Amino acid sequence: MSLFTMDNVRKTFAHGEVKEEILKGINISLSQGKITALTGASGSGKSTLLTIAAGLQTASDGQISFEQQELTSMRSEELRQIRAKDFGFIFQFAHLVPFLTVQEQLDLMLDTAESPLSKQTQKKEIKQVLELVGMWKRKDAYPASLSGGEKQRVAVARAIIHSPKVLFADEPTASLDSKRSQEVMKLIQNLSKERHITVLMVTHDMDMLDFVDEVIEMRDGKIVDKKNT
Amino acid sequence: MKMAWKEMKKNKLRYTILGLIVFLISLLTFIISGLANGLSQDNASLIKNLPDGTFYLEEEADETYSFSSLSDQQQQEIAEEQPATAFFSIQMGNFIDSSDKQRSVAYVSASDSTYFQEVHSGEVILDASLEEEGIAVGDEITNEQWDQSLTVAGFVDQEKYSHSPAAFINPNDFQALFHTDTMQIAFIADSAIKNTDDAPVFKGLQAFSNNEFLNTIPSYSAEQMSLNMIVIFLLVISGMLFAIFFYMINVQKLGIYGILKAIGVKTGKLFQMMWAQMFIISVVSLILSISISQAFQLLAPNGMPFHLTWETTGLLSLVFVIIGFIGATLSGIQIKRVEPIQAIQQGEM
Ligand SMILES: Nc1ncnc2c1ncn2[C@@H]1O[C@H](COP(=O)(O)OP(=O)(O)OP(=O)(O)O)[C@@H](O)[C@H]1O
Ligand SMILES: [Mg+2]
Repeated sequence: MSLFTMDNVRKTFAHGEVKEEILKGINISLSQGKITALTGASGSGKSTLLTIAAGLQTASDGQISFEQQELTSMRSEELRQIRAKDFGFIFQFAHLVPFLTVQEQLDLMLDTAESPLSKQTQKKEIKQVLELVGMWKRKDAYPASLSGGEKQRVAVARAIIHSPKVLFADEPTASLDSKRSQEVMKLIQNLSKERHITVLMVTHDMDMLDFVDEVIEMRDGKIVDKKNT
Repeated sequence: MKMAWKEMKKNKLRYTILGLIVFLISLLTFIISGLANGLSQDNASLIKNLPDGTFYLEEEADETYSFSSLSDQQQQEIAEEQPATAFFSIQMGNFIDSSDKQRSVAYVSASDSTYFQEVHSGEVILDASLEEEGIAVGDEITNEQWDQSLTVAGFVDQEKYSHSPAAFINPNDFQALFHTDTMQIAFIADSAIKNTDDAPVFKGLQAFSNNEFLNTIPSYSAEQMSLNMIVIFLLVISGMLFAIFFYMINVQKLGIYGILKAIGVKTGKLFQMMWAQMFIISVVSLILSISISQAFQLLAPNGMPFHLTWETTGLLSLVFVIIGFIGATLSGIQIKRVEPIQAIQQGEM
């Protein structure tokens, strides 16, 4: 059964007078617990598609539904709640909050997601997740003192600490070397398996496709190929 | 609140500078209102010490007390209607003290001792500032134009008029010395009014509230107006400062705000964070400037009229906090506008 579907989604940007259609009728359905990769040439519309799916910008046309709820017709407050509780995000850059320690980043995410867990359970959960990404030793470090790979691992931890249902990732490994990339991908794969998280991720890196269940290829704002691996 | 504090700790310099400027401006504001109040005491404590009530001058006097004259008959008519009315006169003048020094004073004489000093004939009661200048009880004072002298019978605290110490004398002496048989001003306290709730109206007399009467003293309104203007400007500047500073700080943080919004943090929470920071900064700066201005009050040289009440301090502090709040909130509109997508597309911060 699909958890998340996009139905004939279109996106048009206006450059002054000129209107340009970037997404030309996208149909996607993500099945629960599976990892889907979006690939395609630069400019083909992958990031645009991902951010629209994640509720970070609106579609010009079409329907997006998540757990039988219509995202396209939601008020921004409802959408915010879904982003906070049910979605997780990993961006190309870690985008950590510079004035919070590693541990506090996760604390903030649990807070934002209005986690029903007790403070004590939350603490345990944070420890567990940080251990999982190998960052527990650096729990009191500020982002400025972390390497690119470390930051990205913290970003992964933040994206999944509140056990989201869907994880959106835009080139999560682009700022990492190949060894680190493999590690982060393995991490995402394990988390997806363990916590039944559905993942939609953009990647350029063909090596990463070993870790995914389905590959969707885009060209010029259209889906040109879907295949299971 | 926790986030607000953490961010301030991480960016100490930036917030310390803001706090320092707020501290300086609020200190300046406190000092200037202390001076304004001190000057107003120095100028007119004689009037300011009176309870809330109504002053009456002759209509023809055109708001100038020295031109006003209430005849015996008028006084009687007023007193019949409102027995608690006090009549008094003020005359700027001078005297020569026992060491032959000339002193400027405001002679005050009143028919009623409820609000004014009661003085026996041949005696004078002076403002305590003259005691500090070496005049003592028992001293004789005189004046070239007088054919008599007066004996200093005592001193009173803070009774000044038109920046001169008050000299209370008996109405009989007043009439003899200044060749008059009328009184200038009638005063009735609100609490003593009989039969009516509003201030009574008398034919041919113009009524003034305490404040209106103070403003008929020419130097008074000029002084207070310019000082109060400065205070208002300082308050406005502090508000703009908060707005500008938080605007700059917010601009630098737009990326972070965008990311926080993307992961689902409520915009309201971001505002709360900013308000908490504004509040912490203002409270710390105000505590500092209040302490220093109070210390200044204790240490200010005697000749400097400085008087800062806790009431004024509290009121100004409240205004500071409210203005800071408005300034910060105005600059926070950009937080509301920031789109998460922009921050994400902008790349690493
Ligand atoms: N906010 C916007 N306004 C106007 N045009 C935009 C906007 N966002 C994206 N575009 C355009 O949409 C097209 C697709 O951009 P998108 O970022 O989705 O591509 P992409 O497939 O992610 O590329 P890359 O692999 O380089 O990240 C590009 O031509 C881009 O210029
Ligand atoms: Mg992209």
